[in-house]
Amino acid sequence: MPEWVEVIIRSLAIIAGLFFISKLLGKKQLSKLSFFEYVVGITIGDIAGTLSMDTNLNLTNGIISIAIWVMIPVIISFISMKSPSFQQFIEGKPTVFIKNGKIMEENLKKEKYPLAALLEQLRKNNVHHASDVEFAILETTGELSILLKKEKQPITVGDIKTNVAPVKEPQTVIMDGKIMDEALSTTGLNRRWLKEKLDQLGVAVENVFLAQVDSYGQLTVDLYDDKVKVPEPVEKQLLLSSLKKVEADFELYALQTENTEAKNMYVRNRKKLAEMIKTLTPFLQG
Amino acid sequence: MIELTVASQVKQTLASLKSIHAGLQNLAITSTDEETKRVFHENMLISEEIINDVKSRIGELEFEEPEYKGF
Repeated sequence: MPEWVEVIIRSLAIIAGLFFISKLLGKKQLSKLSFFEYVVGITIGDIAGTLSMDTNLNLTNGIISIAIWVMIPVIISFISMKSPSFQQFIEGKPTVFIKNGKIMEENLKKEKYPLAALLEQLRKNNVHHASDVEFAILETTGELSILLKKEKQPITVGDIKTNVAPVKEPQTVIMDGKIMDEALSTTGLNRRWLKEKLDQLGVAVENVFLAQVDSYGQLTVDLYDDKVKVPEPVEKQLLLSSLKKVEADFELYALQTENTEAKNMYVRNRKKLAEMIKTLTPFLQG
Repeated sequence: MIELTVASQVKQTLASLKSIHAGLQNLAITSTDEETKRVFHENMLISEEIINDVKSRIGELEFEEPEYKGF
C-alpha cells in the first residue's frame, strides 16, 4: 500500500475518532475549561495529529495513548460529579477579590493577579469605579464574577411592579413556510387554530417566513414580502379597554336608574369589574 | 344622533360583556402558563355572573318599555 493511501486512511479514521471523543467529553465551552482540561485537549489533538501524519508510528501504541488521555478526564469528571471535595481538589477554589466593597490585597498576591488586571476585568464588566463593587470573586476558570452594590444595580421589572404576569418561552410554529407540528402541540394548539389565525391576518401559510406564538396564544408573523403590513395582535389591549368601557357604563346606569334594586345591581357589578380590571391588567398589558 | 332608550343602551353593554367573556375564554384556552390559565378562567366565570345580572335587568326594562322589545 503506498504511504499516501495509509495517511488518508489514518487521517479519516482519526477524524472520526476525535469527533466521538469530543462528544464524550461533553459540551463545556472552551472558555469554561480548567487548565487541566485545556492541556488534556491539546495533548489529545497533538497525539492524533502526529499519528495521522507519521506512518512510522505504531498505530496501536497511538490509539492506546489517546484512549488513556481520554479515559482519565472522563473518570475524573465522573468522580467529581459524585464528590464535591474531589472536584474542589481538581478544579481549585474560587478566590474572593473584593468583599464588603474592599479589595483583598492578600488574595490578589496569592493568585499573582496584578491590580491593573483586576481593574481591566471590572471594566470589561462595565464597572469603572471599584467602589461600585460589593463583592467580586475569581472563578476557577479565570473569569471574574461581580456583585454590584444595591444602589448601583440595574433596575428590574420586579423593582417597579409588584405583581408581574408570568411569561413562558414563545414557540416557533412556522419556519420557512412549513408548519412545525411538534411546537404547535407543545402549546396545546393545532393546525386548524393556526389556519384560523392566519386567515384573520389575511395571509397564507406559504407566504409566512416565521411565525411565533407567545404564552398567551397570540400569533406574530414575519412574511417573505416585507412590504406587506401585518397587524400587531391587539386582542388583549382591546379586551382591557372594553372592560374599562363596561365599567364606565355601569357607573352611568347606576346614576341614571331610580330603581334601588337595579342601582344596587349595577354598583355591585361595577365593583366586580373593577376587581377584574385590577387582576387582569398585568396579564393584558404589554 | 338618535336618542337611545335605556334598554338598547344596556343591550350594547351586554354585547360588550359577551365579547369580553369570549375573549377571556379564548385566552384561558390558548395560554400555556397554568397560573395565567387559572386567572383567565376565574375572570371568565365572574363575567358570566355579570352577564346573567344584566340579562335579567334587560328583561325588566323590556317589560317597562314594551315597544322596544327585541330591539
